[in-house]
Amino acid sequence: MRQTKYITSGGLAFAEEQDMGKLRRYSLKGWHVRDFKFMGYTLEKGESRDYIYSIDYRPLNEDEKEEYLEFFSSSGWSHVTSEANIHLFRANSGTNPIYSDQDTTVEKYKNLNSSMKNVSISLFLSTIILWTIFSLSTGTLKVILFFVAAILSSFVLPIACTLAATYSNKWKVKGKKGTAILLRVVPFVIFLITVIGFLSVFFPDNVIRIITSMAIGGIAFPTAIWGMMSLYHIVGRKRN
Amino acid sequence: MKKTEQLTDSMFYIMAALTEPRHGYGIMNLMEKTSNGAITIGPASMYTIIKKLLKQEWIYLYDGSDSRRKTYLLTEKGREVLEADLNVRKQMIHLAENGLKEVRE
Repeated sequence: MRQTKYITSGGLAFAEEQDMGKLRRYSLKGWHVRDFKFMGYTLEKGESRDYIYSIDYRPLNEDEKEEYLEFFSSSGWSHVTSEANIHLFRANSGTNPIYSDQDTTVEKYKNLNSSMKNVSISLFLSTIILWTIFSLSTGTLKVILFFVAAILSSFVLPIACTLAATYSNKWKVKGKKGTAILLRVVPFVIFLITVIGFLSVFFPDNVIRIITSMAIGGIAFPTAIWGMMSLYHIVGRKRN
Repeated sequence: MKKTEQLTDSMFYIMAALTEPRHGYGIMNLMEKTSNGAITIGPASMYTIIKKLLKQEWIYLYDGSDSRRKTYLLTEKGREVLEADLNVRKQMIHLAENGLKEVRE
């Protein structure tokens, strides 16, 4: 029986460098990452090694994978694991970095940013549409719509923050640090003001119900996403 | 097409290597050898640039039979772009060389 353990991630969009540093420190203690796990990583016990880690974000077709991984292995980077469009690599310390210039590093965060943007925009739109239908409907439908819309609304904040973080990553490598920091704060503030304003104007007597729905959504949604991702991963693996 | 936009150094090196059919590893090797290790291109950068050059149609897939080691070659358009960029670079090198000479004299 192999010895494994789980460690948490700071969230790749928020703390990629810290995460990679953490994985390196664990490798020095003989715990090497094997897989992405829900909001973290699975480590496996082995010998102590000074490994460094890097993440790349890239959508790949089936026929592109081999060549992509070959580029890395011929530069001394071995592939650890992939989840959706996120690929984790490991190398001995001292190996040249996987990104060697600024222009392509910006592209890296563009890849992450553009996939986040699609998710966010569809979420924002469906939330707005649901609230609109809700306000026009009556009876049971209205109650159901209310819960669905409230649950969706609760994802808007974490997603907005993640999206903002991906923009901020992009601008940081472009050398606009000030914009990057500002951007991390702005969505929080705007969102909180909007939500509080919205709740107190439209539902002075329903605030508790709304908050409950939001809490449920906040737990259920990431779990559902994780479930789907794992399933996708397992199916993909069997196919290979 | 933005003709005035300069190629990045990495793009320039990769295009220079693709005047002959080469695969990614071949490009990296050639670059390290030619520059005595002064120039290396990371695998993620290399992959990003190859994809970009393909999209611009400055290179094309020369031989895809080995899916791990596909080879690429400059297109006619790519040769023109590389040549135009080379001329700008030559002028800049000229400037630097002359400038350094003057300081010494």
